[in-house]
Amino acid sequence: MSLELLKDILIATVPLLVIFPSLFAFTTWVERKALARIQNRRGPNRVGIPCTRISLFGLGQPAADGIKMIFKEDIVPRGADRLFHLLAPILALIPAMVVLCFLPLEFPFWNDQIKAMRAFAMDGAVIFFFAITGLGTLAVFMAGWASRNKYSLLGGMRAIAQMISYEIPLVLSAVIVVMMVGSLDATEIVKKQADWQWFVFTPWGLMAFIIFFIAALAETNRSPFDLPEAESEIVAGYFTEYSGFKFALFFLGEYIAMFAISGLAVTLFLGGGNGPGAGLHPQLAPWVPILWFLAKVLVLIVVMIWLRGTLPRLRVDQLMAFSWKFLLPLSILNIIVAGFAWHAVQKASTGVQAAIWVACLVIYYTAAKGLDNLTRGKVQPREYKYAE
Amino acid sequence: MSILGGGIFNGMAVTLKNFVRSYFDKDRLTTNDYSWHPDDKLPERAGDYPKEKGEQLRDTTTVTNYSRNFPMLLHDGGEPMDTIRCVACQICERECPPQCIYIEKSTEKKENASGKPQFYPAKFDIDVSVCMSCQICVEVCPFDAIEMNSQFELSTPDRFVGLLLRRDELLKSNDYYHQIHPEEAKARDKRIADEKAAKAAKKKAAAEAAKKKAEAKTKNEGEEKGDTG
Repeated sequence: MSLELLKDILIATVPLLVIFPSLFAFTTWVERKALARIQNRRGPNRVGIPCTRISLFGLGQPAADGIKMIFKEDIVPRGADRLFHLLAPILALIPAMVVLCFLPLEFPFWNDQIKAMRAFAMDGAVIFFFAITGLGTLAVFMAGWASRNKYSLLGGMRAIAQMISYEIPLVLSAVIVVMMVGSLDATEIVKKQADWQWFVFTPWGLMAFIIFFIAALAETNRSPFDLPEAESEIVAGYFTEYSGFKFALFFLGEYIAMFAISGLAVTLFLGGGNGPGAGLHPQLAPWVPILWFLAKVLVLIVVMIWLRGTLPRLRVDQLMAFSWKFLLPLSILNIIVAGFAWHAVQKASTGVQAAIWVACLVIYYTAAKGLDNLTRGKVQPREYKYAE
Repeated sequence: MSILGGGIFNGMAVTLKNFVRSYFDKDRLTTNDYSWHPDDKLPERAGDYPKEKGEQLRDTTTVTNYSRNFPMLLHDGGEPMDTIRCVACQICERECPPQCIYIEKSTEKKENASGKPQFYPAKFDIDVSVCMSCQICVEVCPFDAIEMNSQFELSTPDRFVGLLLRRDELLKSNDYYHQIHPEEAKARDKRIADEKAAKAAKKKAAAEAAKKKAEAKTKNEGEEKGDTG
C-alpha cells in the first residue's frame, strides 16, 4: 500500500521536476536569443554538442552555463549571516516548485488502464497558490538582509514593497474567475472553460487578465518592474552577494515562479489545457491538454521576454503609484462591473449581451483613462532657470 | 488624445521589427559571425587574426567599424615612446567614472612628435576588469591621445595582473586607428589638421598685427618727434 502511494507520488511529481527545469533551461536560451535579436545582436550561437563543430544555434548554452555555475567559487561575505545567506536561495526555489503542484496538469502513466495523476487535487488550490507564492518574497528579503550589503538590503526592501503592493491587484483579478466559476479548484475552473469559453474572451475576464498579467510581471520581478534587481541602480539587488550555485538557485527559482504564475494565468483565463485535438487517439489524449497548457505558458513567457526587450524600468514612485492608484481601483471596479454584468448576461438575448459587453468595455476604458489622467500628474514644459 | 497603453504597443512593434529584420538584413547586426574555431589554423592574412603578440590587428571577420571596447593610447608611428601623444595631464584619470586609469607623470620632459618638450606618462595603466567602456576618457582628452580599441580577445588566466593593461600594451599607432575606425580616424585627423592650420593662421595674423602695430607705433613716434621737432 505504502509502495503504491510512493509510486503515485513519484508519478505525480517527477514530471513536474523534469519538465519545468528543462523548460527553464530552454527559456534562458530563448530569452538571450530574443533579446539579442531585438538589439540586433546574434546571441549565443557557439555552444552545441560538445567535442563537435555542431552548434545548433547555441542550444547547448544553458548546459554550459549550468556547469560553470556549479564549479564557480561560492563566496560568502565576511559580515554575512551564513545560515540565512545559505537558506535564502533554497527558500526562493521551494515555494516556486511547490506551487507547480497546484496547476491542473494531469500526467498519465503507462499501465493497462490510463490513469491521470495530479500532484495536489485540492479545493482551495487558488488560495493556496497565492499563500505559498508569498513566501518567495521572504526569501528575497532574507537574501537582502543576510548579505550585509547596502545594495542587497535596498533590493530586498524594494522587493517587499513591490510584492506587497502588487499582490492585491493580482488576487483581486483572480477573484473575478472564482466569482464566475464558484469554486477555487483549478480543475473546476478549467472544466468551466471548455469549448472556447475561455474567460479572457469576456470583457471582465480580459480586464482581469490584463491586470493579472501586469501584476504577475511585478510579482516575478520581471522587466519593466525589475526594481529589486535593477542592475543600473543597485548592482544586482538582493543577489549581489551571491555566486556560483546559490546564484543559479535564485535564477532557477525566479524562472520557476514565472512558469508557475503564467500557469495560473493560463488556468484562470486562457482555458488551461483546453484546446483542439483532445479527441485524438485514446493513448495520446491525456497528453494533449498538457501540451496545450505548456504551449500557452510558453506564449506568455515569450510575451514577457518581448516586454523586457521593449520597456524601460519604472521609477520606484511610479511603480507604487501604478499599483495603488491605477491597478487597485481598476481591479475593484472590475469586480463590481463583473458582478452586475455577469448576472445580467446570464439570461439575456444575444443582442442585449453584446450591448452589455460594449458597455463594459466603455466603462473600463473611461475608468482607466480617467485614472491615468489623475495619476499622471501635471507635466509641464521644463523651465530652465539658469541655462538660456 | 492618445489611446491608453498605445505607447507600449508602438514600442513592441519597434522591437518586433528589429527582431525580424535582424534575420534578413545583415547590415543591422552590430557584430559579424565569429568564424574562428579553436583548432583552426590561424589565418595567414594580417588583419584577420593576430599572428604574434603586440599590435593586434582587427579581426575583420568579427567586428564592424563601429565596434569599440577598451581605450588605447595613440602614437604617431615609429618608436612609440618618441611620438606618444599623451602628455600625462591626468584629465582622463580624474574624469574616469570607475577610476580604472592610473597615471604616473614623468619627472623630466622629452620631445614629442611635434618637437616640443613635454611630459610623458611614466606609467599608464588601465584595469580593463574595472573599465566600463564609457569613452569619457576619449571625450575629455585635449590631445587626441586616447581612443577606443575594438580588440576584444583579452581573456587571461590571471585575473589580477593579466587584466591590468600597461602603457606599452595600450600604445597603438595612428595607422592602426585608421585601420579599425577608418571614418572616425579620417574625421579626427582632418580636425587636428584644421585646428593646426587655424592656429597657425591665427598666429600669423597675430604676428602681422603685432608687426603693423609696431610699425604704426614707430611711425606715430616719428610723427610726434616731428611735431615737437
